[in-house]
Amino acid sequence: MKKLLLSTTAIAMATTVATTAVAQETTVTYRSWSPVIQTLDKMVEATEAAHPGIAIDVKTFNYGEYLVDLQTRANSGDMPDLVGLEPGALTQQYRQQLAPAQQCAQSVWGDDWQSKFYPLAVDQVRLGNPEGDDNFYGLPVLTQTINLWYTVPVLEDLSLEAPTTYEELKALADAAREAGYAPMMIGAGDGWIRRDVFMQLIHNVAPGLIYQAEAGDVPWTDARFVEAMQAWKNMFDDGIFQDGALGLSHYPGAVEVIESGRAATFPMGAWWQQQAAGDNPTPLSENLSGYAAFKFPDVTGKGAPNDFLGGIDVMIGISKDADYDAACKVLTDWIGGAGAQTLINTFNDLPAFVGLRPEKFGSANQEAVWDMFTEEWLPTVKYARQLASPDVKQALEDALAAVAAGDKTPEEGMAMVQAAYDSSKG
Amino acid sequence: MRLHTGAYTQGFAFIFPAVALFGVFVFYPAFYVLYAALFEWDGINDGVFVGLGNFHQIFTDDTPFWISMRNALYWAPLTIVIQMVLGFLIAFLLEIRTRMVPLFRALFYLPAIVSPVVIGIVWQRIYNPFGGLLSDIGRATGLKFLAFPFLADTQTAIFAVIVVNIWQWMGFSMLMYIAGMKGISREILEAARLDGISTRQTAIHVVWPMLRHVHMTLILLGVIGTLQTFPLIYIMTKGGPNHATEMLPNYIFQQGFILQNMGYASALSVVLLALSLGLSIFQVKVLGARFSFGAGR
Repeated sequence: MKKLLLSTTAIAMATTVATTAVAQETTVTYRSWSPVIQTLDKMVEATEAAHPGIAIDVKTFNYGEYLVDLQTRANSGDMPDLVGLEPGALTQQYRQQLAPAQQCAQSVWGDDWQSKFYPLAVDQVRLGNPEGDDNFYGLPVLTQTINLWYTVPVLEDLSLEAPTTYEELKALADAAREAGYAPMMIGAGDGWIRRDVFMQLIHNVAPGLIYQAEAGDVPWTDARFVEAMQAWKNMFDDGIFQDGALGLSHYPGAVEVIESGRAATFPMGAWWQQQAAGDNPTPLSENLSGYAAFKFPDVTGKGAPNDFLGGIDVMIGISKDADYDAACKVLTDWIGGAGAQTLINTFNDLPAFVGLRPEKFGSANQEAVWDMFTEEWLPTVKYARQLASPDVKQALEDALAAVAAGDKTPEEGMAMVQAAYDSSKG
Repeated sequence: MRLHTGAYTQGFAFIFPAVALFGVFVFYPAFYVLYAALFEWDGINDGVFVGLGNFHQIFTDDTPFWISMRNALYWAPLTIVIQMVLGFLIAFLLEIRTRMVPLFRALFYLPAIVSPVVIGIVWQRIYNPFGGLLSDIGRATGLKFLAFPFLADTQTAIFAVIVVNIWQWMGFSMLMYIAGMKGISREILEAARLDGISTRQTAIHVVWPMLRHVHMTLILLGVIGTLQTFPLIYIMTKGGPNHATEMLPNYIFQQGFILQNMGYASALSVVLLALSLGLSIFQVKVLGARFSFGAGR
């Protein structure tokens, strides 16, 4: 009987201790479209190990589904503690549901916390904030540049080098077509990649002009926009893009062709490095041995700009209803701690936090590409890849499709954008 | 006649679950959408009352909306008629032939149970002029038109998607017709054979007219399917190029969630709801009584 009593007491005590431990554990929820769940699971493991007492519940969706999930949660008062965001329109839409994040950053990295980030990352967080609102409604986790890539064995086969002018690009396209390769593989059925290419074209024609137009200082029908739109049209007419580009998605449509080694060049960004970190990379992607990044050629003859377009890939905000301290611990760990190191080890994209570097490179080429992005290209990013207004962004993407399809002239295409801009301003 | 209070209570108790579910999941959302349609609203923050402004914009200044209406007019008759004819032909041929019928039934029905997402991705590849199946066949056989960028051309894109939709749902029509044919008396077919009419004439003049209830069911489902078309468009073209393949559900999604115009998307949803109601009432009143319930049989 005594034994039974002792056993019962021991079990009761153990249960009490366990229950107390469970009760002390705070769960932080995260919902987003990025990073991919395989990477996120590894980050969770690293962060939970670094912060005992915090459990992290994560779920990712594709981007469209995520927007539906987030909006439903916001309307039902069930926001996740940590919210995946893009700078600009998406962050502004949820601004009133988010807590300012600068106190969090300050508490972990001190008063000069902004110096820990690449300048472009800090600059873009507050894109679209109302005048007088200097709060940071999120902190950047990953950044990127947009640029072009080429397939090394294909250019070797063609005995050509990465083009620096439009004439060289045209010559490469002709040679690639002749040899059965896609000259520049693009899934132009996706609006975002059409816009990415156009952003690089207008950056070549008149750096910074598009942001002046967003501010209302320059009309979207300005001759320089029309010139960039004409350059876009020429890329279809001159056979720079593969045939039928407007009917293909970039992911997974164009990517499959790229990974099979049948594309000479392709538009993408720094995030293309992540192909090397997949579970079963193709021979070209393995250790990034088959790809090299290059700058968009000079299409105007005026000289290509020295800087790049880019910005925040993903930033994370803290919900107003969250346990701020616990959410802050997780967020800062994913930006500059053990979770961040795990994230960067997968080459998911470039870090927002200065000094982070993958612990292991598979090849000298992979390390050289990483260093080029983080030390040479990223620090030169001056202008954002994104546009502030979703309506103008959509109108531009529609106009690019209409001009490429021959339904509109470049002038009419830019008039479409101007009309959307006027409409968005009421 | 007067009913006791108890009878009322009992009757109400019986219908309460259905009424409650209808109220929560149909009535409330429908009225909420109607209310939201009167605002310029991003779906999260406070909206601005604009009255019927959203509807005015839809009908006077919204090109993609009218393109989606035009596409629905292409989509409904083309998919419904062709699916019915092909489904009937396959069903009839399978019924008069006996070898490997289960295998062929399964093969024809297979696309109907595959996710539209998978079908969209696969057919986008098939249509791809660079290395796609159609273009490869075209190059190998000299049929160069097969390498045409069907999905990239604004004139052909919607028809290219319609072809995929027909291919996907043709097997469903076949299955419905097979079920309908099982209900036709063998004696009638035997009598037709004894009268010396050909197989083709049997199909056209005997079997086809006796399946009017199946035709009407397929028309009803086809119209509903047209108004609900979303995943195939979203995956294959996202409504492009330049809205050439836009359908109303895809446009509503884009306005509501991508462009943050939830008020405008609600107004579009109200238009869709009105269209659905109108077409349903039309079918029930004009066609349903005569065909669906077999009045003409």
